[in-house]
Amino acid sequence: MKVLVGILVMGLIAVASLSATATGSTKAKTISVAIVANGQMQDIARLTPSLFTKKSGIKVKYTILDEGKLRQITTRDVGSGGKAFDAVMIGPYEAPQFGVAGLLKDLTPLAKGDQTYNYNDLIPAVRNALSAKGHMYAAPFYGESSFLMYRKDILAKNGVKLPLHPTWQQVAAAARKIKTSSMAGICLRGKPGWGDLGAAFTTVLNTFGGTWWSAKPNGQPDKAQVDQPAFKNALDFYAKLVQDAGEKDAANSSFNECLTQYQAGKVAMWYDATVAAGTLEASDSPVKGKNGFAFAPVDKTKSSGWLWSWALAIPKSSPDPTDAWKYIAFATGKQYLRAAGPLVKGGWAAIPPGTRVSTYQIPQYKKAAKAFAAITLAAMKAAPITNPGTTKRPGLPGVQYVGIPQFQDVGNRCTQLFSRVIAGSAKASDALSQCQSIASKAIK
Amino acid sequence: MNAAADATLRPTAKGRVGDPFSSPWRRRLPLLPALLFMILVTQLPFLVSIYYSLTNLKDKTQSLIPEPTKFVGIDNYKAIFSDPFFRQAMWTSVQMTVFAVVLSVLFGTLFAILLDRRFFGQGLIRTLLITPFLLMPVVAALIWKQQMFSSLFGILDKVLAFLGLNSVAFISDHPLASIVTVLVWQWTPFMMLIMLAGLQSQPSDILEAAGVDGATSFGIFRQLTLPHLRRYLELGALLGSIYIVQAFDAIDVMTGGGPGSTNVPYFVYQESIGGGFRYGSASAYAIVVVVFAIIIATLALRLLSGLLKDEERA
Repeated sequence: MKVLVGILVMGLIAVASLSATATGSTKAKTISVAIVANGQMQDIARLTPSLFTKKSGIKVKYTILDEGKLRQITTRDVGSGGKAFDAVMIGPYEAPQFGVAGLLKDLTPLAKGDQTYNYNDLIPAVRNALSAKGHMYAAPFYGESSFLMYRKDILAKNGVKLPLHPTWQQVAAAARKIKTSSMAGICLRGKPGWGDLGAAFTTVLNTFGGTWWSAKPNGQPDKAQVDQPAFKNALDFYAKLVQDAGEKDAANSSFNECLTQYQAGKVAMWYDATVAAGTLEASDSPVKGKNGFAFAPVDKTKSSGWLWSWALAIPKSSPDPTDAWKYIAFATGKQYLRAAGPLVKGGWAAIPPGTRVSTYQIPQYKKAAKAFAAITLAAMKAAPITNPGTTKRPGLPGVQYVGIPQFQDVGNRCTQLFSRVIAGSAKASDALSQCQSIASKAIK
Repeated sequence: MNAAADATLRPTAKGRVGDPFSSPWRRRLPLLPALLFMILVTQLPFLVSIYYSLTNLKDKTQSLIPEPTKFVGIDNYKAIFSDPFFRQAMWTSVQMTVFAVVLSVLFGTLFAILLDRRFFGQGLIRTLLITPFLLMPVVAALIWKQQMFSSLFGILDKVLAFLGLNSVAFISDHPLASIVTVLVWQWTPFMMLIMLAGLQSQPSDILEAAGVDGATSFGIFRQLTLPHLRRYLELGALLGSIYIVQAFDAIDVMTGGGPGSTNVPYFVYQESIGGGFRYGSASAYAIVVVVFAIIIATLALRLLSGLLKDEERA
């Protein structure tokens, strides 16, 4: 008898708690979003409760990861139809590929149908990079190209002058001249990962006349080109420059590490994403006002800067696409940029750049970003996305990556090898022959 | 209460003599759900993996136009043995396991000998020595990566600078040694506990007798303690190898793979959900690993059962 009563009581508790969770979930909606751990994203994660949840009643659960980890997780989740995320942050490499493969929700009708969102305000270069066949698969949170940032005071002290459109040879000479035991000449990415070392290196490779794969007339990859002389020249140049005049512990350095070193006054020049300029010129930056900016250095091509955007997409498998779009419209909308200006730590200069034409008309932004706004826009416009090198590329358009699915794995594994070359613990010729075999196996 | 228990026991006791319902299967019946569960969660996925390993299954994100999965026979297996990266990973696995196990057994024994003596603050020292083993592997790897090995703000860098030496990018220049260091740091306490149990099970009268007979302390250690510890050393090395061969966390956190630090588990991860997304060939790698693991485990179990038999005899 006692046992029976016990079971009954337990059953009642179970039913009660079930109904409680059921009613709870209809009351407060929660969506899950995966984003990259860069400054501008950390800002929006902090501001979401006050600027978004308060008005919409939708709670946002953030998963904040570094670039490489985020890519693994989003690719896995999107590809397997997982339901972990309602919105994921991806870029122009993933968006068109996943979109064409039918894994992402087409955002064009949502964006065009939303009057306040103003689709036409999005910068065309970025919008196109995130689209395939006229469908936009991700909405840009920030947009960037790559360029050279340098300390005007240090260069002047060393009697070095850089033109607005420098060549890599000029930059390398300057870096070697400036380098002292306490200050590196230049910070270049050396951390393995196609989006880390891979991105910076591929822009150098492009302008040195090299390429990862040759292309068949139909755009399919033909043969791996890693064993070609132009590829070796580019790797030798890059590795030697980092070894002679680069930052400390280059093999572990990428965007965030270089940013720290540049702000701490340990490097004089830095070739990286234009978005860094906002942080360097932010109101709380120790190097504010000391920075000069030049276009991405070139060798054989006219321009070499990359084009990238961290953008929000809705996987087809998202459990709550309606609320996910409400969130994306907030995060990538005009209003957030205006609201964030006075609220983020770095002030107006640190708001997410490069997504909307209207951002560049905000008076406060124009004033705060005077040093870099114009060159950022020009660099994004000049990014040679359809024709980045001296030969035809396979796959979808791209500068610092090759727009084929195999590139993610090949880029990651080869940059592990190249990173060791940069660290001086492996020979370039060994790394290149191993990478050649990875690259040719991948397209078989 | 007792009567009820007796009543339930009685038919079984009677049944042993000739009850038609008491086949061995009837007695095993209560185990059946557990067996079914085991088959469902371990054996079925394994069979599915074998099937996958014979196909070219890829993640949906890995092709622009959805491609049907093809049956490729043993192509994946043929590719494994011609893959230099897999061979490299196997070699890394062997080096990583051997170095980490040998060094942690060595340090574990030394610390155990230290702790076997009574001294002031013994409890505190013991707790401190065990702590590394209680830390999550990811945390341990992060601490070492950021606070010890970093050539920008690591403690080792400060020490080198104090000594007037150039800074070393430990993780980039010596990935294997760095990872082995962390593994040894984590596993030494485990070995120490096993050795301590061994030392404390040593009868003190024999040691006293040896002392009375004029043996030196090194002689006592070599002639008496070490042979006594042999079984414990073997057990420690065995359990240590089983765990350390699966090392993953430290590699992922510290180097994220690469030559010299990608071991076999990490290689399979890279091939599948870690970026390669080639589930077919990753399944083939995994199955080859399982075959190796079964061979090693059989050898290990033989050794272990030999140890237990020794124990019974002793």
